[in-house]
Order: sequence, then structure tokens, then C-alpha cells
Amino acid sequence: MFTPDSEQARWFAEEILPQEPELRAWLRARFPMLRDADDLVQECYTRLLQAHATGPIACPRAFLFVSARNLALNHLRHQRIERPEGAEEIDVLAVADGGVPPPDAVAHAEDFQLLIRAIQSLPERCRQIVTLRKIYGLSQKEVASRLAISEHTVEAQGSIGLRKCIEFFRRHGYNPPARR
Amino acid sequence: MKPAPRSSVPPDDIEQTAALWVLRRDRGLTATEQDELSLWLALDARHGEALASARWGWDELDRLTGLQTSIGAVADPDLLAPKATAKAASRFRRRIFWGSFSLAAAAAVAFGIFLTRSNSPADFTVAPTPNAVALTAPCEHRVLEDGSIVDLNRGARIDVQLTAHERRVRLLEGEANFHVAKDAARPFVVNAGDFEVRAIGTVFNVELHPAGADVVVTEGRVRLQRTGSRLARLTHETPEAYLNAGQLGELRQAIPAAQVNTLTPTEVEERIAWQPRMLDFNDAPLSEILAKFNRRNPVKLRIADAQLNTVRLSATFRSDNVEGFVRLMESDFAMRAERRSDREIVLWRAP
Repeated sequence: MFTPDSEQARWFAEEILPQEPELRAWLRARFPMLRDADDLVQECYTRLLQAHATGPIACPRAFLFVSARNLALNHLRHQRIERPEGAEEIDVLAVADGGVPPPDAVAHAEDFQLLIRAIQSLPERCRQIVTLRKIYGLSQKEVASRLAISEHTVEAQGSIGLRKCIEFFRRHGYNPPARR
Repeated sequence: MKPAPRSSVPPDDIEQTAALWVLRRDRGLTATEQDELSLWLALDARHGEALASARWGWDELDRLTGLQTSIGAVADPDLLAPKATAKAASRFRRRIFWGSFSLAAAAAVAFGIFLTRSNSPADFTVAPTPNAVALTAPCEHRVLEDGSIVDLNRGARIDVQLTAHERRVRLLEGEANFHVAKDAARPFVVNAGDFEVRAIGTVFNVELHPAGADVVVTEGRVRLQRTGSRLARLTHETPEAYLNAGQLGELRQAIPAAQVNTLTPTEVEERIAWQPRMLDFNDAPLSEILAKFNRRNPVKLRIADAQLNTVRLSATFRSDNVEGFVRLMESDFAMRAERRSDREIVLWRAP
């Protein structure tokens, strides 16, 4: 689906690969019960490269760690292992905080404007949920506790937010790639 | 369950359902949900397309992951609030900050002043973190012996001296509004830091803050004068200034002359919004009531459960009586109040 050109290969080798030892160490510390860390790291890379191939990523390091966390939780769910106490409170972005680009440079990058404006156009509750979930990488449960609303509400309002974002994209001529 | 005929399902519903499935899948489906999803996908070819499109949109938003994380690891749900909201929030913060230093005063006709204490930088480190009690304490309403009314904002302190020849109020800290009773024989003077505000039949507001004092006149006229600096008086560099209704006088330690600006009625209203007043509600939704309280108080009330929005009530509250209002919600409206911080009270439906 995507073919890494040399530019992307270099970006990956220079920006992403050096983070792997840290990512693995972090995964081991946070999810000691996780069996298939190798697969998981590969899966993270695939997601990252797919996203990178079609557009910019605000903070690749944060993207990587948030993806890893989400995938790890998914894997654990499949392994039918109870999450360790406190596993919900993992502060991914505290880990991802190193090597963050200057905030203004990112926020003002034109590439992100459509995404940012889509979120800005949402009703307050939807906007807060999408912001916490997508920009800060919080889980549904974490968002519920942060905003003091039920998980059910986070899910329902979050899905309204998502639908409205997609409508916004469509109105601005931004559409999913055609399906084969 | 019988599938609905294809044509009767509005595309909007399909997209909404697809979006919901994407969020559910993201948090992990239960076995039952997996079956439901398979069933839903089998029902109509458009469902799969809608799901793919929703999935794509959800993943696209991941590009923003980590946007502005260097602000710190504290997640800000309002990071992308529309500009107007963000501005209101920062103005709100400013008001809290000033409010803790400020003093203000009013007249039978009426006026207001804001002042800053300049000579005690030590207070600067103490004042900006007012505690919950101070923030929810009601404002004080005082009637002086001459019939003048002084409303004190939270944390404000005054010293009153009424003599046969003069009425003098020293604003020691904070903000106050003065409603001056007419008495031609006895001028009404407010001292705020190094500044003097002389009422000429007036309602006015005075706020004392670190850089100086702000005076807003809502009725009548006041005279502003610097009193503190002997040097300034000797060099005659501090001409007096007159303020009329609807004007703001900004007095600054560093600047000899008061700067006078004419405010719009809305700006005047904002400046004196802290003053308690009775809020009347007639079958009003809870959200509207909270909004009115929040506009006038440093403590924000929020609804945790959207269902609470169906609560409507008719009542009269004093705008600064946040505590009383919250207690009433707890005792009579089956709610539970969670004090999230000293600036935020979240209302839940009681279990």
C-alpha cells in the first residue's frame, strides 16, 4: 500500500529507529506481561510509516509511544490478562516529552490546520474528548475520569465528534483514499 | 431483529453508527459486540464503507498526537478551544489574579475604583494563591453611617473615617464599589495606595492592584489625584483628572498622569460584574443558571452528567452565594458536588 522511498527510509532511520531501545525498555517496564513485544513494535512502525507516507505527523515520538500503549493494551486484552493496577494512568506523553518540536512551529504548520480546525469546530464536549484522546493520547477511561463523565458519554460524544470531523474533512475536500 | 429496508436508513445514521463502532473497536470489543458488529456489517454494503471511512478519519487525527506537549504533561481539554473561549479564559484568570489584591468602592448616585498596593512586594508572593474559602466567601455589603454603600469584593479590606468635615475610606486591599450618599458639606474621598479618588455625587468602583489602581465610574463624576509621592507633588507632575460616568481611569505608579478611557456599556458591565446581585430564574435549565454564576464568580460550576441538563428550576439566588446554591443542589436536587480544585466544582447526579 505504501512504498517507502529513500527520503522516508532516511527519516525512519534517523528519527525513529534510534528511539527503539527506549520504546522497548518502556514497554517492558509498563507491560511486563506482554508476550509479543517484537510484533508490537513492528506494528507501531507500520502505522507510523503509513501515516508518514500520506502526510505529516506532529510529533513522531509521541505518536510512537501512544500507538505502542494502545496496541499493548489491545494485546493484553487478547491475552486475557487483567491489567495491572494503575495501568490506566500511564502518562504516555511524559515519556514522549523529550524531543518535542517547538509547539508554535507545530501548531502553525499549515499541514495540521485542517485537522486542528476540524476539532475546533466541534461542540465543546466533543472537542474536549477528541483533544484528550487524540492529542494527549488518553484512553477512553482516562478521559472519562479527567472530564468527570461516564465512559459511555465519552464514547457517545467522541463518536459524534468523529463523525463531525469527517464531515468537516469532506466539506474541505479532504477524503479517504479510494478503496481498492 | 429484522433489518430495515435499505432505503429507509438515512446516511447520517450509518455514519454515526460507524463512528461509534470505530470508538468501540478502539477501546476493545466484547464478544457480544463483535457479533453485533459482524451482523451490522453484513446488513448493508454501505456499512463497511462507512466503517472504513470513519476508521480513516480516526487515524488521521492521530497526526496531532503530541501537539504542544512541551507545555507539560498536563492534558488540557481546551487546548483547541475556539479563540473567543480561550480569550475569555485568560481574561478570567487575570481577573482572579488582580482580584486578590484589589479593593473597590460606590455613591447614592454611584462610582467604582481599583487600586494596587505598591509598597509591599512581599504580598505579591502571598496573594496570588487565594484559598477555596476566600474564593467562595460572599462579597461584603456595608452601609456606612452616612448612608453610603460599600460593596467589598472577596478579600477586600477598608478603613472608614467619618468626621464632620469629610468622609474618608482607605482601601487597604482588593476591590470595592462605592455608592456615595449625597452630602455637599462632607466630601467623600477614597484613598487607594498612593492615589485619591474624590466623589462628586457618584457610584464608582476602585480596584487596587500591583501596578496601580483602576477606577470606573458608573454614575456622576470623580476627581483622581496622586497623594503618595512627595516628589511627584512637589514637581507638579501629577495633574488631577476627572472621570465621568462610563469612564475608566488607570492610575499607574510609573506614569504621572492618569490615563482616562471611555468604556462601552458592555465593558463597564464586565468591570463591575463581581458585585453581588440577585439572579432570578424562571423555569431555567441548570446550564443557564451555572453560566450566570460562572460569569460572576471565580469558582466555576460544571455539570458532569448531561442528563442533569434536564433539571429546570425557578428560584432567586444571590450571585455570590455559590456555596448556598451548591448545597441546595445537593440537598434538594439529588446531586453530588465534587470540589475538583479551589476553582472548580463539578455537579454529579447522586447515585
